[in-house]
Amino acid sequence: MTAPARSAYRIVVVGAGIVGLYTAYHLARAGAGPILVIDRGFLSSGASGRNGGGVRQQWETRATVRLARESVDAYRRFGREFGYNLWFRQTGYLFLAETDGELARLRSVHDLVVSEGLPSRVLGPDGVARLVDGIAPDSVVGGTYLSTDGTLYPFPAVWGVYEGARALGVEVALGVEALGVETSGNRVAAIVTSGGRLETTTIVNAAGGWSAEFSRRAGLTVPNRATRHEILATEPLKPFLDPMVVRASDGLYFSQTMRGEIVGGLTLRNGVGTEGGMPSSPRFLKEMSRALVRLVPRLGAVGVLRAWSGFYDDTPDGFPVIGEDPRCQGFVHANGFGGHGFMLAPAATLRIARAVLGEPLDLDPTAFSPARFLAPERPASVERLQLG
Amino acid sequence: MAGAPERHFLFDGNARTARPGETLLGALTRGRLPILQRSIRYHRPRAPACGVGYCTGCLLRVNGRPNVRACRYLPFDGDVVRTENSWPSPRLDLLGVLDVLFPGGIDTLRGFRRPAWATGTYHRVVRRLAGYGAVPDLGAAAGLAAPPVRWTVDVAIVGGGTSGRAVAARLASVGIRALVLDRQLSAPPLEGADLASRTTVTFLPPPGGAPDARFALLGFEEPARGVEVQARAVVVATGGYDASLLFGGNDRPGVVTADGAFALLDRDGRPPFERAVVVGGGERAEQALARLGSRVTAVVAPGAIDPAVVRRASEADIPLYPRSLLLRASGRSRVRTLHLRARGSGARFSISCDAVVLAHRRLPTSQLFFQVGARTEWRAGTGAYYPVLSSSGETTVPGLFAVGEAAGVLSESTGTSAERAADTIAGRPRTDDPAPPRVAQDGPSELEGYYRELWREPRAGRWVACACEDVLLEEVEDAVRGGYRGIEVVKRYSGLGTGLCQGRYCLPDALLVLSLLENRPPPEVGYITQRPPVVPTPLAAFAALDDPAPPREGP
Repeated sequence: MTAPARSAYRIVVVGAGIVGLYTAYHLARAGAGPILVIDRGFLSSGASGRNGGGVRQQWETRATVRLARESVDAYRRFGREFGYNLWFRQTGYLFLAETDGELARLRSVHDLVVSEGLPSRVLGPDGVARLVDGIAPDSVVGGTYLSTDGTLYPFPAVWGVYEGARALGVEVALGVEALGVETSGNRVAAIVTSGGRLETTTIVNAAGGWSAEFSRRAGLTVPNRATRHEILATEPLKPFLDPMVVRASDGLYFSQTMRGEIVGGLTLRNGVGTEGGMPSSPRFLKEMSRALVRLVPRLGAVGVLRAWSGFYDDTPDGFPVIGEDPRCQGFVHANGFGGHGFMLAPAATLRIARAVLGEPLDLDPTAFSPARFLAPERPASVERLQLG
Repeated sequence: MAGAPERHFLFDGNARTARPGETLLGALTRGRLPILQRSIRYHRPRAPACGVGYCTGCLLRVNGRPNVRACRYLPFDGDVVRTENSWPSPRLDLLGVLDVLFPGGIDTLRGFRRPAWATGTYHRVVRRLAGYGAVPDLGAAAGLAAPPVRWTVDVAIVGGGTSGRAVAARLASVGIRALVLDRQLSAPPLEGADLASRTTVTFLPPPGGAPDARFALLGFEEPARGVEVQARAVVVATGGYDASLLFGGNDRPGVVTADGAFALLDRDGRPPFERAVVVGGGERAEQALARLGSRVTAVVAPGAIDPAVVRRASEADIPLYPRSLLLRASGRSRVRTLHLRARGSGARFSISCDAVVLAHRRLPTSQLFFQVGARTEWRAGTGAYYPVLSSSGETTVPGLFAVGEAAGVLSESTGTSAERAADTIAGRPRTDDPAPPRVAQDGPSELEGYYRELWREPRAGRWVACACEDVLLEEVEDAVRGGYRGIEVVKRYSGLGTGLCQGRYCLPDALLVLSLLENRPPPEVGYITQRPPVVPTPLAAFAALDDPAPPREGP
């Protein structure tokens, strides 16, 4: 455990994942200090160190496409800005459709993405087969491909932002758990941690899969749900696959990393909540292996090297939650990113930092504000492309 | 198998033969150490080192299937075997120039960021260097397709070595027929038990919450048949393995573990070396002396040398160097000289040799205990974690037993350990209460002091902290200097422990190194989560187990 150095901070960020650290970085650049980031685990122990490294701009809603496009630009600059090489490789995301209905859905995504100026293409089975060497014949009716999507290494992104934030004076205390929030009236007054009570007026909840739990500890009911998603990596192979491949029907996704491993997962309906920890299941290993081998039969001869899991932080409408909670002044949400916090972090955290500083946001409040779950109306729009 | 015909196969286009029961590695060795691979980053020459299917020194392409471990493969007539990851050959790989061009290491974390216009080229070049084998040929998996095997048994014993067999025999004597899952390629038959040979259990998840929940083990039978076993009780008898050691050039061809040296013996018991230095002063070193005999040129040990080893060495006029620091193994594509220093600032000296046989430290094969969630404890004496056991050999997971070397039981107590577990499973606990099995004791660690002293020595040559991923010791030190603490973070920062052996060889030494660098005891450095599978398991094997057909008894 690294104990906090002070007894009071202007801002305490809960969660030292990519969202928490990047938010602290933006805040520090804006001159808002002193800032403390706490995390009960080690650096990269949560979803920021457990995801498949995909970064895509193909989404069903314009707001998400824009955040994603801005994040892609930020990741392109990352090496120069933070000194770490993410090996961000823009070799595209390929969405696969097995039925005409799925292809129609992907086509509407394609139309939106193109209207935002991105070079998306609709492919037939032959076009798909050119991108996935050895794909089983007749396994798809087509797909969409956006060549400027890509994959990166999550770890160096965490190291880079961690060091970048610390260089600007942000303090990061690892092994320190957020236990509760003290309020005075409806205002945040202090945060109680395993490393002691710390006075602060602003708390940023960037706890990822554990964000609902922390909100509850602060006395706030939120609709976020943690769902466990599993993933595996194979033995490293010489390069044969460029794009990230995602199948709309079952959420199968896989790519080949710079190191040559095939890394991928599949959506299983696991129980909700973080209580069960982050194990791997026999069911996942079997179903994932079968899905992958059926789609690309030659991979049957490749060995699974390791499997692991992590938590998505899901919201009912598929949008993240960004902004101050109307019920508690100074309690700012930076969560609900589903399994896509990494993809959206650079752009989304800029808005989170603005929300912390009370600056106006260029985000649609009906889609991103925490207030949207307090009103009885149905959500204005929904982002359902929660795959890969 | 007397009189069985030889197998004829092609190796890089040349006709070769394998004798019946001979592994591919055996057929390619025959008294001469083969260089079959190159390391993943610096393309350093790599020869078989572990002999038990974990290291990267014998990965070959067999019939279009990459990364086949030659030490775990029995050739068939007509097999087409190729080397990969080198050009024109592993012995003369032109990319070996990387090892010369980057004496300070290749910095993939911070390097290759500039100029921006060149990043695409960097990506293409670095990708081509990555990976051991190429993607399987179209159709390579078809030859592997086999219906899965499912067993539902009372007792499953993982490991068919001495202790696993002893448990099976004891159970058989009271009428309980156990299933023994054995990783060996050829195992002698078992009376009164079922034997699943060439079968590796790679995943033992915790049993469900119900009191009568059964264990469900997953694994595979070579080469790629899925195996699933439901069992009421599981006995883990996975044994142990010989550890590696950190010194300059510790990945040089010719540096092998004792397991590796034994796997390289030909059928007449001849090793592919003439002058081996055996490292170690205990029981394992004695075994190495016994089996390698006249091919041993010296015995060196990080610590003291046992009287039994002294006696055996003196009989053969083999010089002994107790309490020695191993500094460097030098030589180009084969170790030629081992450079040492007597501990306590003694004199430097060197030994001319063509092999270094590591027999200084046995470690338990313990991944399954971590997977299943059994409590483990650190024993500093050996520098390893062992399951916490009741007097009957049961772990903290009810129904899960540990026996033999995997449980830290010393070899003279193997029988007692096996009997106790079997008797408890059979519901016949012993009443006469003989002496409990002797286990590896907790105590001061000889290796911790060894490494502390070694740290004061100037370094020469590459100190490879993780051979699978070519991670250098300096990179581990850089991580700690950069404020990244604990094995979990250092693993993610440096890549150590993320390769094909999943930390089996690098983790034990890394714990001691980090303990030294971070100035805290090894248990506080943490441990790498032991993720399934224990060894790489073909996707085809797991995929076949997804077959919805109802479970059936095994063959």
